[in-house]
Amino acid sequence: MSDPPRDDERELVARAQRDPRQFGALYDRHFQQIYRFVYSRVREQTAAEDVTSEIFMKALKAMPRYQDTGRPFAAWLYQIAVNAIADRYRTLRPTQPLEDFHDLSVAGPALEDLAAHRDEIRRIWGLVEALPTQQRTALVLKFQEDMKIEDIAVAMGKSPGAVKLLIHRGVSRLREEADALRPVE
Amino acid sequence: MNMRHDPELDDVLQDQELRRLGELLSSTRRAEPPLDEAFRSGLRRQLMQQAWNMSEGRPSLWRRVFAPPGLAWVGATAGLVLIAGVVVFWALQPTGGGFNQIYINSPMDGSNAVALQQPILVAFNQPMNHLTTEAAVQIAPATNVTFTWQLNNTLAVQPTSGNLAPNTQYQVTIGPTATTATGQPLNTAQTITFVTQPPAPPPPSPSPTPRAPVSPSSLLTGEHQVAPLGGIASSAVQWSADSSTVYFVNSSGALEGVLAKGGDVKVVAPDGVSSPAIAPAGDRLAYIRGGKIEVLTFAVGTTAEIAVTPAATLVGWVKDKLEWVAVDGLHTQGANGPTQLAALPATGIVSAVSFAPDGTHAVYRQDLKLFLMDLATAKSTQIGQANALFDGWSPSGAQVIYSSGDTLTISDVHGRSVGTLPGADASWSSQDAVLLGSETDLYQVRPDGSALTKLANGTYRSPMWAPNGTAFAFFRGGALWAASAPSLPPVPTTLDLTSAVVNSFMTARQKGQTDQAAAFLDDGGKQAYSSGGLNLVITGDPHFSRFYILAQTVTGFQPDTATFVVRLVLTHGKLDVADFEETLTVIRDATTRRFVIDQAAAGAHRDLGKGAEVVGVVVAADRIQVMFDSDLKADTVTAGMVLLDSKGQQVGDAATYTNRTVTIGGLKLKPGDTYKLVVLSTVQDVNGHNVAAEYDLSLVGPAATLEADLKSGAVAAPPAPASPTPTPTPTTSS
Repeated sequence: MSDPPRDDERELVARAQRDPRQFGALYDRHFQQIYRFVYSRVREQTAAEDVTSEIFMKALKAMPRYQDTGRPFAAWLYQIAVNAIADRYRTLRPTQPLEDFHDLSVAGPALEDLAAHRDEIRRIWGLVEALPTQQRTALVLKFQEDMKIEDIAVAMGKSPGAVKLLIHRGVSRLREEADALRPVE
Repeated sequence: MNMRHDPELDDVLQDQELRRLGELLSSTRRAEPPLDEAFRSGLRRQLMQQAWNMSEGRPSLWRRVFAPPGLAWVGATAGLVLIAGVVVFWALQPTGGGFNQIYINSPMDGSNAVALQQPILVAFNQPMNHLTTEAAVQIAPATNVTFTWQLNNTLAVQPTSGNLAPNTQYQVTIGPTATTATGQPLNTAQTITFVTQPPAPPPPSPSPTPRAPVSPSSLLTGEHQVAPLGGIASSAVQWSADSSTVYFVNSSGALEGVLAKGGDVKVVAPDGVSSPAIAPAGDRLAYIRGGKIEVLTFAVGTTAEIAVTPAATLVGWVKDKLEWVAVDGLHTQGANGPTQLAALPATGIVSAVSFAPDGTHAVYRQDLKLFLMDLATAKSTQIGQANALFDGWSPSGAQVIYSSGDTLTISDVHGRSVGTLPGADASWSSQDAVLLGSETDLYQVRPDGSALTKLANGTYRSPMWAPNGTAFAFFRGGALWAASAPSLPPVPTTLDLTSAVVNSFMTARQKGQTDQAAAFLDDGGKQAYSSGGLNLVITGDPHFSRFYILAQTVTGFQPDTATFVVRLVLTHGKLDVADFEETLTVIRDATTRRFVIDQAAAGAHRDLGKGAEVVGVVVAADRIQVMFDSDLKADTVTAGMVLLDSKGQQVGDAATYTNRTVTIGGLKLKPGDTYKLVVLSTVQDVNGHNVAAEYDLSLVGPAATLEADLKSGAVAAPPAPASPTPTPTPTTSS
């Protein structure tokens, strides 16, 4: 027995594979998250639009070859997105400042704590951006896009074990970098 | 500071500081990036254009024909034909050639479908003497007429009864005694021949081919965006019972509700929601959240949580009772707690899809196949072929819609296909209208495929009717929309449907299309036309030139049954010289739900031109109307026409006569009983000719519903309905 949202998605995918004109439903469903992911990587609206267009156009054309591996359809879209971003920015890095994070903490901290917390978050994410591409992608998909490791594996074309290793190495490197940046008390 | 804990990372980030960093990263989300909505919609248009280019199967023929370019060509062609016809007609008119020759002409000459409400026009190529010309006019069948002249050379011959007789071949002869205004005689008689239409416009019958788009613009009203969704998580929109509110799951998994007319979106449950289902009474809303069932009671605004094991994956209502699906099968809430209704297959990838509205069946998918389960017996039936997709239920739950390829199929609960519709996102309303939405347009159609009407161009994905059968919700872009659709035209009556079958059957025979004609026969009908002595295709001279339905009536239900008397006219040269009648019994096939001809019998040939002929019979429970092709001598009618019951006893009042129509009133015909209409040979036309021979017609009392329909005016009034069957006579064939 599979979960209902997945059943619903399978129906949409099956329809789009049978009739490309049905792809619009998948576009409506996934546009926002893919665009958000792309924008977070390229940090420029026009570039995000270009890459997002490329991703969905590639997805539409590749629909007949799509195979349901049991993972969400979004994982496949992220795979196309990761590759598209890599192709476009193979030699470039985002240059915009990292100022657009929202705190998801439930409890309301004191203002000074909150400011410190946000500062630390900004600093850590700044370090993420400096990580090697593979580690950076794995961390973004895990911590920003909230994806499961198996889905990240699909998106990155790696095994789940390799993704775990990338995450581990990435976070370990963050700790090292953070320690190095931490002011001496 | 609260951190989000992700168990998946426990074995990846085992070090406490690493875990803290992971939780720190998880505790943040980027703000929504700047987004130009024009980009979102523009990209969607590009994708859809690409999708159309990629689409392998071309649109069906009717879509192509009725697409704007196709329609333009059809219109242009029709226009050219009309223009060519007019040109040819006038080109063939005598040019006069001098006044030594007298020509007559009429636009009606040779026509086989002359309207009844018009005079007979006879044009001469020179001014005529009114008195001698009028005296020279002969009309068959016998008809009282008056004359009117236009410009001395065009004579309008007007039946005094007002209209021409239906289904009748007229011969209007101007005899040799007619003279011109200068006294020149016609010398030889000249005749105009034409055939009139049936007594009323053809009843609105479902055409096997869809109608063209009625209007290029939208027929919808009140179309508006209800709520932005930021994408679509599920197409499972639920309407409140009063059709005022829609509930949906947004892209974040939150269950939300909003007034259909628009307003603030209210959150019912903040996240993780699937399978929302509103109770038929509209008082409760059930949904699944975190594997548990939650039930919101609107009146008190409280939500009850029902923990079920195993976890629920689909929830629905049967009347006021909750039902759900879990990994081990289908369950319901019994008096003593959950009760398993049926188990689901234990092999393959199984997913439940939907409960029927009446709760008697459920649809589930096993691997690539779709199954319909009878919950009373737990017996499953596959519907469609592999890869079939579920598309919805009929409001009663007695039929299910599934799609395969470019076609929607309607199946009964036994898995038998009962009809097909063009492929699209479908929703079946309480008024038996099916919305067919797609990326590019919206159609409305009856479940039997009739009355297909294009409602609008544009994106109308996953339309969902409101309970009132007027409003509907749909998805466009990343938002939920609503609109109201116009009502479909009235549902065709059984007579509409059966007469369409009979007309198609007879037309195929007239064209010599044996295979097409045989397609309207079931086994009984085929036997009648093979070993039963009837000929499916009629050959020889005189030839089978036309037919018309003399009488028709619904004679039974379960199965729906109608009896038709069809008159087949045989023509030699241009003149109708004989006719005979076939009595056809049309029934609704239990499997296909289509009407087919089940029985057929033929009557004897009769020669025409020898007295008045019956050309139409209308039967109602309280009266019978018999239409003749000739004006009759009224005093011969009262004693010349009677209605007898099965015991030979006369029933009803004495026959009365007016305008070629004889009425026998004061009847109380019993449904299904047999009666006999007798037209004695003593009945005379206005020229003093007797009916050639006694004409007997067996009639069946109309079924009760038809009677009610007629009284209420629901059935397209006479002259269509009637029910006679000719007196059984030896079967003959031409």
